[in-house]
Amino acid sequence: MEFFLSQLQGGVVLGALYALIALGYTMVYGIIQLINFAHGEIFMVGAFGALAAYTWGALDGTTTLVALPLMLLGAMAASVSVAVITERFAYRPLRNAPRLAPLITAIGISVLLQELVRLFFPINTGDSVAFGAKSDQPFPKLIAGERLELGVIDISRVDATLIVVALVSMVGLVLFVNRSRTGRAMQATAQDPDTARLMGINVNRIIVTAFVLGAMLAAVAGIMHGLKYGNVGFRIGFIAGLKAFTAAVLGGIGNIGGAVVGGFFLGIVEAMAVTYMPGQLGGGAWKDVWAFVVLILVLVLRPQGLLGEKVADRA
Amino acid sequence: MSGTGRERDDANSASVSHTSESAVLTSDAGSATEQHARELTWTQRLDALLVAALGRAGWAVAVVGALLTVVATMLPWTYTAEYPEDLTVYFYPAGPQLYVLVFAVTGLVLLATERIPPLTTLVRRLLPHGVGGTVRALSLGCFVLALAVVVFITGTLGGLVNVDPGGYLAVLGGLIFSAGARTLTSDTVTAIRGRLPDAVEIAVVAVAMLVLLFLIVAGLDIDEQQSFAAYVIFVGFLGLAATRAGAVSWVSGVAGRHYGVTVTAAFLVAFLFPFTQGESNRYLNVMANVLIFAVVAMGLNIVIGLAGLLDLGYIAFLGVGAYVGALLSGSQFSTIDVVPPFPVVLLAGAFAAALFGVVIGVPSIRTRGDYLAIVTLGFGEIFRLTMNNLNGSSGPDVTNGPNGIPDIPHLEFFGWNFGENLNLFGFELGYFANYYFIELVLLAFVVLVFVRSNNSRVGRAWVAIREDETAAAAMGVNTFRLKVSAFVLGASLAGMAGVLKAHLSTSVEPTQFQFLESAFLVAAIVLGGMGTVTGVLLGAVVLRLLPEKLRFLDDKRLLIFGLALIVIMRFRPEGIIPSRRRAAEFHEDEIDEALAHGLSAPGPAGGKA
Repeated sequence: MEFFLSQLQGGVVLGALYALIALGYTMVYGIIQLINFAHGEIFMVGAFGALAAYTWGALDGTTTLVALPLMLLGAMAASVSVAVITERFAYRPLRNAPRLAPLITAIGISVLLQELVRLFFPINTGDSVAFGAKSDQPFPKLIAGERLELGVIDISRVDATLIVVALVSMVGLVLFVNRSRTGRAMQATAQDPDTARLMGINVNRIIVTAFVLGAMLAAVAGIMHGLKYGNVGFRIGFIAGLKAFTAAVLGGIGNIGGAVVGGFFLGIVEAMAVTYMPGQLGGGAWKDVWAFVVLILVLVLRPQGLLGEKVADRA
Repeated sequence: MSGTGRERDDANSASVSHTSESAVLTSDAGSATEQHARELTWTQRLDALLVAALGRAGWAVAVVGALLTVVATMLPWTYTAEYPEDLTVYFYPAGPQLYVLVFAVTGLVLLATERIPPLTTLVRRLLPHGVGGTVRALSLGCFVLALAVVVFITGTLGGLVNVDPGGYLAVLGGLIFSAGARTLTSDTVTAIRGRLPDAVEIAVVAVAMLVLLFLIVAGLDIDEQQSFAAYVIFVGFLGLAATRAGAVSWVSGVAGRHYGVTVTAAFLVAFLFPFTQGESNRYLNVMANVLIFAVVAMGLNIVIGLAGLLDLGYIAFLGVGAYVGALLSGSQFSTIDVVPPFPVVLLAGAFAAALFGVVIGVPSIRTRGDYLAIVTLGFGEIFRLTMNNLNGSSGPDVTNGPNGIPDIPHLEFFGWNFGENLNLFGFELGYFANYYFIELVLLAFVVLVFVRSNNSRVGRAWVAIREDETAAAAMGVNTFRLKVSAFVLGASLAGMAGVLKAHLSTSVEPTQFQFLESAFLVAAIVLGGMGTVTGVLLGAVVLRLLPEKLRFLDDKRLLIFGLALIVIMRFRPEGIIPSRRRAAEFHEDEIDEALAHGLSAPGPAGGKA
């Protein structure tokens, strides 16, 4: 039982990470029906933004409480600016093009962002700059310390922080979308862009807002990913992005609550598959395979997702 | 095209195809921003600015710019002879200087005809669209070439100090030339409809093909990367100028009328290529790899271009074929100790891939559009991960996991050993010629399958599905069966290519089949022109050959690839040689506008659907 609980807990942590990224997919999709295939790369850029803030901001001796907010700032600055630039210069001109065009553009952006980080990420080597993060870069493990024991739960501090941060971000997002003027404008745009425009909503601005919010959450996910695993590489975005997309579809793409549910569901499925799949099919080597199997099953059998949302035109 | 535009022009929706995808895409957010869509593009703004600034002096400015450029080519561009071509001599243009000279002089001649009345009428007859567009292309070519060479000199020799005034003058001349040329009127190029006697037209096709062969061989012969890059720019702008002059659309019109001759000539030229290489294996190897890529791209073209199913995991089918080929090759690392004759292996590879195609296709087909793309991507990744895991520790030992199956022997085929040099018509050819020729046969087969199915009942049904699946189903098309058949046909062709690839690259590893390779294939199709034969072949060659030659880009190739995808989608989403239908689809609003003004729709240059 305890073993099961610890697996479940691992799944929940993973799920929180997926959910944070999935929210970005879902918000953009909800408003302009675009699968921002490069969103995983936004997450990766966020992680590297945090790393850059740490290594170049001389945060090495400071306490965690000083370093983390500054790193978060760096992560968000990187993610948000990349998201805004791609929206403005790559996606916006294609808004009326056949659907294939933005998808291929997104693949291009994805490759481009990976390569930019791989070739040009400035590494602080002490007295000089080395360009290019060709191999995985060490990420400061700022949240160390003893594991927390809360009743039956035995959890590392990083994992606990991740869950708390994810939940806070999600609650913040829900409050923003439901309570703020801009958030309600987003909902209106998602429901009917033409009418929203007639009501005086600046639809372009709302679309940018969706990209920005998604990028901010991805930045949070990026920094937490770095803290949890202790390193970041330019490839982390591809698989993470695909899994987060799975999570978004799983919950019903376009549905904010769905992305959260889908994220946790996928995380738990993955953790369980690794442990409980029989024989050689278990284990880490197959974990991505199971995530893809879930992706395919959901897309094929229940494209409207677990919670459902209007996607009649999709499947 | 957005909802509002659609309603405005419902009448011409018959001539302008709406795919089911584009119909879905008419998401309403699009129309919300449509009022911005008709803003002037930056080139239009630039032109307006230049016309305002130069007024009627544009022609003279262009002439002055061209003359300056000609003078510049007579001057040294750098003072050391370390640059691959000797650009240090007065009155002796070499390499890129020659290219610039050709552009500038041709531009001058064309400009002159504008002001010499008897010539003007003559040129008007040959170039019904005027010389404006052609001169623009040539002048821009001058400028870009000169700028590129200056950049190369700076890069190669270390610093701007190595550039002599001649180089700067060439850049300046090119700039003035371009500025002047932009004020010339440039009419839209439409297809020239003139017809010549059949014998002459066939000769035109033959000459065009030989020119193509010459251009490729000449390009391959250039070893220095700077020179090669300059050559590519030269050929690119030459092509652009020819397009603007209407020559390209005329030749492709001629080629379209003599389709059989053209295809035969193309394959004949491809057949001749190894004879230009002698015993050298260097580019035969490269071209053999290019051909494999072209075969796979053509196979995918059936799936994407005809049936409209965006398959992002297509490389897996090549992988299935390659693993079948490797396992049955007799390699000492193969886990299967059976070595059937090659034709059997080829069929086995095709069959295995087709089977895999059914396994992937049947569930995937239930989804549409983006979801289909992602499901196939998922299957592709599952294939790669599985090949990685069948290594004995996380699965049964079949594929040696990440190490793959190396040491695959050369093909043996009715006593014909592919590892030995080939003697043909008294010529001794490097042994890669064996692979090259057999791949050419395979490519011919795939092209034949593509063309025949395109013109068949099945092909028309595929196109119907691509354009509007719901309507096709309503018309009685069995969409499910036809989509699966497109998938399986594409898969089996890739499977055959895979068997050859295993022998050609002598080792098969999971990393050869990662997602990026599928992206490359899709890019080749999109770049060339989806659903066309010429376009996709061209796209495949460009995408595989250029990186081979531009080695100085080294690890920046992927960066450029990513950037190129974005730029192409932004500025020419229909590809280099678009099918008429796709071009119409991507330029609906322009066509609508033309119709609104009572003009006939500007037909895209050349290309067949």
